[in-house]
Amino acid sequence: MGNTTTLSDNPRVSNPANTNGSKSGLPPATSPKSDLMGLQSLRPDDHFHSYPEYFVERRHEECIRCLVCVRQCPYDCTYYDPDRDVVYNVHQNCVNCKRCVAMCPTHCIRIERFDSGFRDNGHWGTHLVRGLRKQADTGGVLLTGLGNDLPYPSYFDRIVLDASQVTNPSIDPLREPMELRTYLGRKPESYRPGSPGEVFPNILCEIPVLFAPMSFGAISYNFQHGLALAAQEMGTYFNTGEGGLHPDFRKFRDSVIVQVASGRFGVDPDYLLSSAACEIKIGQGAKPGIGGHLPGEKVNAEISRTRMIPVGTDALSPAPQHDIYSIEDLRLLIYAIKEATEYTRPVSVKIAAVHNTAAIVSGIVRAGADIVVIDGFRGGTGAAPMIIRDHVGIPVEVALAQADQRLREEGIRHQASIIAAGGIRNSADVVKAIALGADAVYIATSAMIAVGCTLCQQCHRGLCAWGITTNRPDLLPRLPADQAAGRLTGLLRGWQHEIQEMLGLMGLNSIESLRGNRLKLRGVGLTQLELQTLGIRQAGL
Amino acid sequence: MKRVYPVEERCINCHLCEVACIVSHSRTKTALGAYQVEKLSFNWVRPHALDPAVALAEGTPLPLNRCRVDVQGSVFISTSCRHCQEPDCVKACKNGSLYLDEVGRVLLREDHCVGCWMCLMACRYGAIERNPYVKNVPGQESNGINHHCDLCRDRSHPACVSICPTQALVYEERGSS
Repeated sequence: MGNTTTLSDNPRVSNPANTNGSKSGLPPATSPKSDLMGLQSLRPDDHFHSYPEYFVERRHEECIRCLVCVRQCPYDCTYYDPDRDVVYNVHQNCVNCKRCVAMCPTHCIRIERFDSGFRDNGHWGTHLVRGLRKQADTGGVLLTGLGNDLPYPSYFDRIVLDASQVTNPSIDPLREPMELRTYLGRKPESYRPGSPGEVFPNILCEIPVLFAPMSFGAISYNFQHGLALAAQEMGTYFNTGEGGLHPDFRKFRDSVIVQVASGRFGVDPDYLLSSAACEIKIGQGAKPGIGGHLPGEKVNAEISRTRMIPVGTDALSPAPQHDIYSIEDLRLLIYAIKEATEYTRPVSVKIAAVHNTAAIVSGIVRAGADIVVIDGFRGGTGAAPMIIRDHVGIPVEVALAQADQRLREEGIRHQASIIAAGGIRNSADVVKAIALGADAVYIATSAMIAVGCTLCQQCHRGLCAWGITTNRPDLLPRLPADQAAGRLTGLLRGWQHEIQEMLGLMGLNSIESLRGNRLKLRGVGLTQLELQTLGIRQAGL
Repeated sequence: MKRVYPVEERCINCHLCEVACIVSHSRTKTALGAYQVEKLSFNWVRPHALDPAVALAEGTPLPLNRCRVDVQGSVFISTSCRHCQEPDCVKACKNGSLYLDEVGRVLLREDHCVGCWMCLMACRYGAIERNPYVKNVPGQESNGINHHCDLCRDRSHPACVSICPTQALVYEERGSS
């Protein structure tokens, strides 16, 4: 993907590096718009793609020219005209990240759709027209961040939960014990009192929600630090993603799952041993079957040190792991990691949810994985081709249900825990995923939203206005680690209470009793085949 | 005594502390009132406007913020009066308009100051600014009066600390300075 471009970045406007040390911290007086002389367009091709998506409506009578918005906008969308003493916007640069809206002390900014789009067309959506024009202009692959945003139906939204009435009592979690503790890893075949038999390494989660793999580089140093602090506080885990583990974060070894991906960035014995568990990444829900790409501009000294690559070089992960072309090869790597860690840690394998997931998961479990992660197509990414993000992969709900079913039928469900990932939005999704057969879930987009993300999908540009997916030194402090940790802890505490309430109303007092308990689920508005695939019954039956 | 301390690695260069400072020291106590009614412009962009003489001659208002975000590359820090335990400015003040109050704040008797700028010369932190709009010497050309952080005398918590979105300013007890 050598030639990549994005829908929103405007080639005419240079990168707004506000780091030139000007006295007020503002861009130099020659604002990026000055070469346009206030005209909409100067270059011959501009009229093909210069339709602004968003319109920044500023009530000038309420604007106090404090220029907070100008300093906060990393997308070069806001500038100040000192001669007229007015703040203006370059609408076509706006990505609707809402940073200016949040920071404006007089709330004089409102962002709207620029217009209703092109002429209504049921087939040619506005986003398609935009994409085509942009692509024709640049000849590149359209890159984007975050997860699949097309309106595919969500199975989570068509599954409802059962509750106890009369014939079975519900439980009040405020008055009675409620167990959310989950052990992830291989369980013994059987248990006989007095002779525990072979015991396998497991990791203990106080809440069945883990932070999904997000690499340092894709996310900021501070955000990863916040994830680590929150994971430690809540007795759960964060995942390094494929970007290695920064030396500063090695102290969180009891709360981290370290990932070994196709690029092998930052992998050495100390990395593997600075962990609670190791994970082999085969695929990612947002971009199944393709590798990763951290642009060289984002590789600063710290990232270079963590990933063990030179500063400024592109970090390209190959699409496959080139030493894994079969289940047998996967077994070699699983056992290589187990040997390297002396069988003290569970080894996880993460795959994207694809058509044949159940059989693949069965193979992975037989290859010796202790945890299998299934990442659905709503899962996010720091950067992926839009066409792949939006059209490849399947929903995690069906993949999870099928995988769980298959492992049960083959009698090997105890050999591995399943983590569901990709588009878990709230605690109800967690409960539904666990009832469909997961042991725990991974959350990433929810965690990012908790710390400020507004889903503007510009993660790949490294300019995150909220300081989440950037490591530019001037943007980094926007998300202090302790603030992030506090918000993430708050999110998990809230979910913890909600999950306990939902378990209680179903008459359960332990998350163990919910796992794979599909009788607690009913489908609404699903076809017979969909119900069968999910292994649940129709509501009312 | 509690003082305002900046936390350099948390500052995001938004300058909201300056806005809050101006608003909290305004008569109307609202952002729109301060800007539109009292004409306390927050326009820091024009470097010449930072020179009080030029500003007065032009009729452009000076920003009267008592804290100031210093920018060096991508390092930002909001600075204001340190309220030293043994303040050089108070020693230097020749007519006693600067004084240490009972809790240890360095405050100004606004009707005493004649704008001699000994305080400005003495301050080792460069935390003292000039307010050219107040003139205490009738019939004389005056430079205005001393202008520095008063830790928001009429508030329980300094306004800059309250508004800071990343807690890059903290108001706490840290022993002697």
